[in-house]
Amino acid sequence: MRQFFKRNLAFAKLGIQTNLEYRFNFLIDAVVQPAMTGSIEIFLWLALFAAVKTDTLNGFSKESYLAYVIWSSFIGRVAISWMYEHLMMEEIETGSINAIILRPMTFFEYYLSQLLGYKFIIYFCSMLVPLCVTLYFNLPTDLSRFPLITLLVFYYLIFVHAMSFLTACFAFFLNRVRSFTIVKNFTIYIMSGELFPLDLLPEFWKNLFLKLPFSSGVYIPVGYVTGRLGTDMVMQGFINTTIGLVVVLSISYFVWRKGLGSYSGTGA
Amino acid sequence: MAQVLRKYFRLFSILLKTSFIADLEFRVNFTLRIFTDIMWYMMQALSFEVLFNYTPHIGDWDRLQMRVFLGVLFVVDSLYMIFVQDNADRFADKVRKGELDFILAKPVSSQFLVSFQKVATASFGNLLIAVGFLVYALMSIEDFNWYRLFWFFLILPSSFIVVYTSRFFFTCLNLIFVKSESVQFLWYNCYKLGMRPDSIYFPFMKLILLTVFPMAFVASVPARMLLEPPNALLIVWSLVIGPLFLYISNKFWNYCLRYYASASS
Repeated sequence: MRQFFKRNLAFAKLGIQTNLEYRFNFLIDAVVQPAMTGSIEIFLWLALFAAVKTDTLNGFSKESYLAYVIWSSFIGRVAISWMYEHLMMEEIETGSINAIILRPMTFFEYYLSQLLGYKFIIYFCSMLVPLCVTLYFNLPTDLSRFPLITLLVFYYLIFVHAMSFLTACFAFFLNRVRSFTIVKNFTIYIMSGELFPLDLLPEFWKNLFLKLPFSSGVYIPVGYVTGRLGTDMVMQGFINTTIGLVVVLSISYFVWRKGLGSYSGTGA
Repeated sequence: MAQVLRKYFRLFSILLKTSFIADLEFRVNFTLRIFTDIMWYMMQALSFEVLFNYTPHIGDWDRLQMRVFLGVLFVVDSLYMIFVQDNADRFADKVRKGELDFILAKPVSSQFLVSFQKVATASFGNLLIAVGFLVYALMSIEDFNWYRLFWFFLILPSSFIVVYTSRFFFTCLNLIFVKSESVQFLWYNCYKLGMRPDSIYFPFMKLILLTVFPMAFVASVPARMLLEPPNALLIVWSLVIGPLFLYISNKFWNYCLRYYASASS
């Protein structure tokens, strides 16, 4: 067990070092991109509130929506995986996976630990921006709720990685699977509540999306930290993510075994 | 001049043919690409449709007018997807692997070849869908003046050039920076500025988006041509901005090429 943690810590450090190597790239990734997305969405919401000429929308104030928008841009950026999913696909497509499956570790954990290490550094660096914005503009944010949402977001990341792993496994059977990533991440983008707060949806859709694990990525943590949701929803988020994780990992295991069976290691 | 244009047209038709053959090689990917773009359109439409359940207007436009704006956005975006995106995405690899050498050595404009070597033929399906959506949105507007389509088609090339050149500026940065993946994502964020109606921005920012960094030309300006009486100043400016940005992009390309160290040599 000690050995397991030791090697995964090394993978996590590798993830951090690789991404910090190019600092300009990192700065844009961690700060500039989510800040720009958040700013554009803030303009949209300000225009919307200017049109409705009321202080509240669906029971929440303008400040509450602005806080949601700024936090969701940053947390949404953390709770998604593009780069490592592409790397995993590339390993399988090119055959360079051979070098990994021969080592005393799993392909899954190798990339999971790197992803968590990378997201860890992104999370703590980029969170300073929405924190400063919300404090400066006095937007509703409960700082005491941060430890719990950090836990939820990182737990959700394991689920995200499991989906990435499953998607990458299709590269055993198909030559190009990058479009799968786009379809998956677009779906997550809508269902996680990053596109708009889920409480704006009709009741049926809202309830459905809240029962799925994706809302644990953005809607629940952001809703909790901005005061829209209570602790019960966070607990529900943990349960949904666990169920999602069990389902996705079971399918992944099956597809991985099948894929390895048909894999001929051409890149060796 | 006519001979040069004919040469480039012939070259482009060959590139189109080879791209189509290459795309059909991966049929699942070909189909999924159409599907992903449709999903992206749905996402954009959904975000506004949900918001319009709570407000009659966003910026200057109501729900029906916003659908026209989205239709224009989809058309311009599908043109960008067809001609530009794949080439821009692959450019960093070409620099890193030294494949750019082969392009620079050819007796045609290197900017042309770098920009239009690969045509995403799957996205032609999306163009049809986008045009269909735009026609539907226009038909939903009562008393729509169909003669305004003339101004729209006049401005559409400028919209495409603005999208192409803005992406091309960011693509060129691959020649200067060693690793610039995030810079490319940054372009997408700039593009997002154009994916929202210009009326939501405050006046100074709107001015910037119409002049120095003209992302308002992506969809807002052409949509205004369809929804509002023609604005002479905007029409003249849009006719200037296209050639102007093409010229600047070519200068910038030549400037950035000085940083290229030819990885394969």
